[in-house]
Amino acid sequence: MHVLIVEDEKSLHQEVRQFLLQSQYLVDSAYTYAEASEKIFVNSYDFVLLDLGLPGGDGLDLLREARQNERQEASFIILTARGAIDDRVKGLDLGADDYLPKPFSLLELQSRMQAIMRRKFGLKRQELTFGNGFQLDATGRTLRYQDQDVALTKKEFDLLHYLLLHKNRVLTRLQLGEHLWGNVLEDDSDSNYIDVHIKNIRKKLSQFAPTDFLETVRGIGYRVADAG
Amino acid sequence: MRLEAKLALFNALSKLLLVLLGAVVIPPIVSRVAVAHTDQRLREKQAEVVQLIHRSGISTFVQGEAYADYNLLKQEYITLTPLPATADTVAHSPRIFNEPRQVDNEIEDFRILSEQFAEGGRSYRLEIGSSLATVELLTGTLRRMALWVLVIGALLTIVTDAAFAHYLLRPLRQLIVRKLRGVHHPSAFSYAPLDTDTTDFRRLDNSLNEMMRKIQSAFEKEREFMSNVSHELLTPVSILQSRFENMLQDPELSHTHSLKIVDSQKTLYRLRNTVRTLLLIANIENEQYLRDEAVSVAAVLADVTNELDDRLAQRELRLLEDLRPDYVVPQANRTLLFTLLFNLISNAIKYNRWGGSITVEGRPGPLGGYLLRVTDTGPGIAAEHLPHLFDRFRRFQAGASAPEGYGLGLPIAKTIAEFHKSELTVESEVGQGTTFTLRFP
Repeated sequence: MHVLIVEDEKSLHQEVRQFLLQSQYLVDSAYTYAEASEKIFVNSYDFVLLDLGLPGGDGLDLLREARQNERQEASFIILTARGAIDDRVKGLDLGADDYLPKPFSLLELQSRMQAIMRRKFGLKRQELTFGNGFQLDATGRTLRYQDQDVALTKKEFDLLHYLLLHKNRVLTRLQLGEHLWGNVLEDDSDSNYIDVHIKNIRKKLSQFAPTDFLETVRGIGYRVADAG
Repeated sequence: MRLEAKLALFNALSKLLLVLLGAVVIPPIVSRVAVAHTDQRLREKQAEVVQLIHRSGISTFVQGEAYADYNLLKQEYITLTPLPATADTVAHSPRIFNEPRQVDNEIEDFRILSEQFAEGGRSYRLEIGSSLATVELLTGTLRRMALWVLVIGALLTIVTDAAFAHYLLRPLRQLIVRKLRGVHHPSAFSYAPLDTDTTDFRRLDNSLNEMMRKIQSAFEKEREFMSNVSHELLTPVSILQSRFENMLQDPELSHTHSLKIVDSQKTLYRLRNTVRTLLLIANIENEQYLRDEAVSVAAVLADVTNELDDRLAQRELRLLEDLRPDYVVPQANRTLLFTLLFNLISNAIKYNRWGGSITVEGRPGPLGGYLLRVTDTGPGIAAEHLPHLFDRFRRFQAGASAPEGYGLGLPIAKTIAEFHKSELTVESEVGQGTTFTLRFP
């Protein structure tokens, strides 16, 4: 998977780059408009992560330019801290595939990228198997154990799905909370809603099989271990 | 009252006063004029009679007894009376006075010119009379005419003055309708110059345009400032957030340090949410959001409860929805309305007792509009805190049991309510619960 990071803020650029490299992506970098424009013209990417305020030009122009280039089939994700409300609309109108306002979670970025890939390759069903016989169907939003349905609430399902997408990573309550209520400005980030959700998920799943795979990392968060 | 109406009213009143003044002043003037006119005629007749006497001789008229001539309707008479030669029969120049005279057994008031003169060694008295009834008839006619002219003139000028004022004030009306009414934001202001050659309006229009331009430029500067601030604040937050996330993935990180990073992450989230909230409020107040959808309260409420179902269940709270009927907010922003209701209800969850309930009640307002009330069964809010409930960065419950938060949920709700031209108020009774009322216009 070939990703171009277009971001002039060096520190942020490095963090995103490090994260993607760890996640086995092939990463290319551009720090200015001209650099990005040239790389998009020459290379073909799967993803372009696009900051809007670039030295030498507006990221939206870069997007417009790239969309006129037929050879460039990259999916664009706009990453911006600009306050303007209509940037989002404009970006999506110009053919961006997604929009993440800064600050964003790297995990959220990754799951958005995965979602775009699935859409692009027309993967109708995304099935994740885990914990000795559980099957999670992300498209149909169902969870089954062998042939039995496991009933989860919407939030419980989203939470479990997110943990499964980031297998073997410790996800903090904040990261999980942001995924569940990302669009809503919440001021009680320290709530224990996530803990209650996890408790309920464990309770529901343990009626079918042991839930050892869903680990609590003391003081930090939760992790789905690969062993399952 | 509008300027034009005031002018018309003043105009009509002054004309009315003029007519009244005329009604008082005209009759005496007219009667004086009429009397003067009668006197003038009498004098002319006297002159003619005297001329006749000179030409034809006195004997043509008087042979021993008095001469009298009346016209048919007794409106005028001329008498020529020989006077006995006594001391008081000295000649005197013409005098004019009013006196009753008997004419054919009828007594009538006459305006009389009387003159005594000597002719051929004898004294005569010449009297020429004009009936006062005739004079009064004339004054009456004149008076009526004068009043009619006055009234018609007054009415005509009232109408023409009103029409002229209407024409003259047209630019002002346009200024109000086109430029001022319905303009809540400089971007909606029309800068097209006003079509007028009245200097005052021209100046008014120019200064209005100039002022609006200044305001608009200030707004734009503020918007630019907000954009810069958000960029400058959110970019470093973004860097730190990504760095913390990467650090947490490091397998060599000790548990102690992991805990510290999670703690830093919390602090960073708090900073992030504060910045985002302030930006949201600033953007709403800056009219950066559109209000162009008709949004059903029930639909938004359904979205909100869908998001909050689990939290309700976790705290064993019942949500009672009672919208009779549903209300469609005609000009709304759905995202913001969602945030507003989300904040109110998540607040009601947060500050509720275990196993309590939340009632969302919607009713048409008693004076039109719509009332939406969100009531919880929580501990309530002390009266002294209520006035400051919507202030930014204020929280009242201290201590370990207080829910975590930064006191920005309600200011956001208030800002969104105001953006929708509605009013958000709170009532609370300690121990009973709290009710937030959203009043749509």
